[in-house]
Amino acid sequence: MKKAKFYPWYFALISLIIYTVFSVVPGLIGIGYSFTDWSAYSRELHFVGWKNFAKVFSGNSEYLRYILNTLLFTVVTCTFKTGLGLLFAVLLNKGVKLKNLHRGILYMPSVLPILVTGLTFSSILNPKYGFLNAFLKSVGLGFLAQKWLTDPHIAFGSVMAVDVWRGTGYIMTMLIAGIVAISPTYYEAASIDGANAWQQFKYITLPMLRQTLAVTIVLNVIYGLKAFDIIYALTNGGPGHRTEVMNTAVFNMMSKGLYAEGTTISSVMFVFMVIIGYFMVKILTKDEVVE
Amino acid sequence: MNKKLLAALLCGTAAIGAVSTCALAADTTITLLASQDWVYDAEMELGEKFEEETGIHVDYQIIPADQYYSVLMTKINSGECADIFGGQSGRFDIVTQYNVEENALPLNDEEWVSYYDEYAKAETSVGDNVYGMIYFDTTTDFYMVYNKKLFAEAGIEAVPTTFAEYMEDCQKLMDNGIVPFYECTADGWHHVMWFCEIGGRFEELEPGITDKLNNNEATFADTEMFKTCLEQIKEMADAGYFGDNYQSDEYAGMAYALGSGEYAMTMAKPGTIAEIAEASDGEYTVDDFGMFYIPTLDCQVLNVHPVGPTRFIYSGAEHPDEAKQYLAFLARPENLQYMIDNEPKVENYPFNADQTPAYSEETRAFIDGSESRGTVFQDAIKYLNPQWFDFGQDIIAYLNGDMEAEEVLANVDARRADQAAAAGDEAWS
Repeated sequence: MKKAKFYPWYFALISLIIYTVFSVVPGLIGIGYSFTDWSAYSRELHFVGWKNFAKVFSGNSEYLRYILNTLLFTVVTCTFKTGLGLLFAVLLNKGVKLKNLHRGILYMPSVLPILVTGLTFSSILNPKYGFLNAFLKSVGLGFLAQKWLTDPHIAFGSVMAVDVWRGTGYIMTMLIAGIVAISPTYYEAASIDGANAWQQFKYITLPMLRQTLAVTIVLNVIYGLKAFDIIYALTNGGPGHRTEVMNTAVFNMMSKGLYAEGTTISSVMFVFMVIIGYFMVKILTKDEVVE
Repeated sequence: MNKKLLAALLCGTAAIGAVSTCALAADTTITLLASQDWVYDAEMELGEKFEEETGIHVDYQIIPADQYYSVLMTKINSGECADIFGGQSGRFDIVTQYNVEENALPLNDEEWVSYYDEYAKAETSVGDNVYGMIYFDTTTDFYMVYNKKLFAEAGIEAVPTTFAEYMEDCQKLMDNGIVPFYECTADGWHHVMWFCEIGGRFEELEPGITDKLNNNEATFADTEMFKTCLEQIKEMADAGYFGDNYQSDEYAGMAYALGSGEYAMTMAKPGTIAEIAEASDGEYTVDDFGMFYIPTLDCQVLNVHPVGPTRFIYSGAEHPDEAKQYLAFLARPENLQYMIDNEPKVENYPFNADQTPAYSEETRAFIDGSESRGTVFQDAIKYLNPQWFDFGQDIIAYLNGDMEAEEVLANVDARRADQAAAAGDEAWS
């Protein structure tokens, strides 16, 4: 490719400055504050070394549970959103009547404000007055009725299920765009060679979707690690602390005026996200199929 | 001529000033941030009257109770709070939790301060400055409210005076197909009262414990009676006396739950009885309900809770003068009376404005009949009230088997220590 076809580097300068000033610098300052006793209760700021980090990683710290919850939320929602998104993308690609209507319906939850989703599902999942249990009882499946958001063994699963319901359509849309971009000639050639639908999916669709899948998985993972609003709206971290994740802990610390502890947890999350994001991009874009 | 001209100019300027002031007020909207259940319908009606009178609109921003403090503190700490914010008062907490000296405006010059209850004034002041106006009926507290008819049908002849008797009565009610107690932990605050409201009993069982806790000479985790109290709460929950749905139930559903006859008891303010009777569609009257002491640790001490939800004017308020005007409007004697007459939950307010309280005979008899009284722990103990919702969350974790009672109490101590350290409390240094 001719060198002249590249735009000059300074075209990106303004974006880079804005990104640096509003994202990178505050992030670094935040990491700096993690080593202090910054709080709303005192105007003085003291360097405390690794004390805040020691608290987060101490053996009896509740933060370790929140880290595990965050990772669990990320893995489960990412797996289901990607799996279901891919399934729906393939099913709604061709040979379905009113496919755009179906796609629209599946995409719709993604555009709803998360708080609206949370409040709606709080009502639907209420064990006594909620629609879900009432429906299950009305069709003779009352034994499946649960305390969806208050049973400590089920609550986190319910929250993740709502998040999967909300996010699958978005992933499906991205994957549909990826599938549509695959040249039909591959499928024609495969058909002539006698490949069945599964073989076409396995040997054509999946490899050609790898880049799109990499993007969706990275987005899902980053979203999962940053999860806050859906949990806040549905359970506020409860019952007890069962559905607490790192960002609900950050919010709690900040609202209590314990800023240094809040920024410490954020810094830990930042490092997690950078490491996980880096390796995921490396792994998922390895041996890319290029048309 | 010149004098006339000057006078005309001054009059003209004054008139323009008055018109512009009116126009400014007419366009003004003040914001009021409060937790669920802190702003009653009757107050909103007063808000409409206030708007008619002044042209100032009041935008009530109501936050679910379990999320209120995190939202409030985030707004305060980020410098973006509403003109008026609600918060629990208490001489320790208004300093350590809200830092009112920085975040609220002093209200000493307001007329209502002259007839504001002295105790309420003390609990909302720092030094010589009054920072808040308690706008809650703090003349009574939350007591055990029970349905006399359901008790009689279950063969219960007298109200329980010990925890053991209470548990026996609960079982009798259960056997009769009635859920004994309407507990509602979804809001995050109600269940904590089983513990904190019996401060008088704690002091009775271990005299001096209040001072010891406040001087950091004792801890919650090392004091056996606190653990016993938590165990009794769990005993009730495990026995099913709170019903199946208590972790999803909200305080807002209490009147209907008791009015329907499905539940026999709850913990509520006496004024709520009228609301329950109204929700029963004629099934019950106010005479069908009575009150007794909160039975944890065999408590027979009347709980006294002289502080409550309070209105503060944010120091960074966009419309501080209009916000002061609104508080002054609420505190007018006729408007205090309006609230007492129109809101069942309010029987009186902590003002000496010659208002006529609406105490029922049952309430008077119950309060007058108490032989001993004790201040609730959230008022008596430093650094306890600000962690009410954290404590509540830990209690739920304990009820669900995720934590031990000792851990819950150790967390209370740890949070107190954190706050004391941040506040520079010498007793913790």
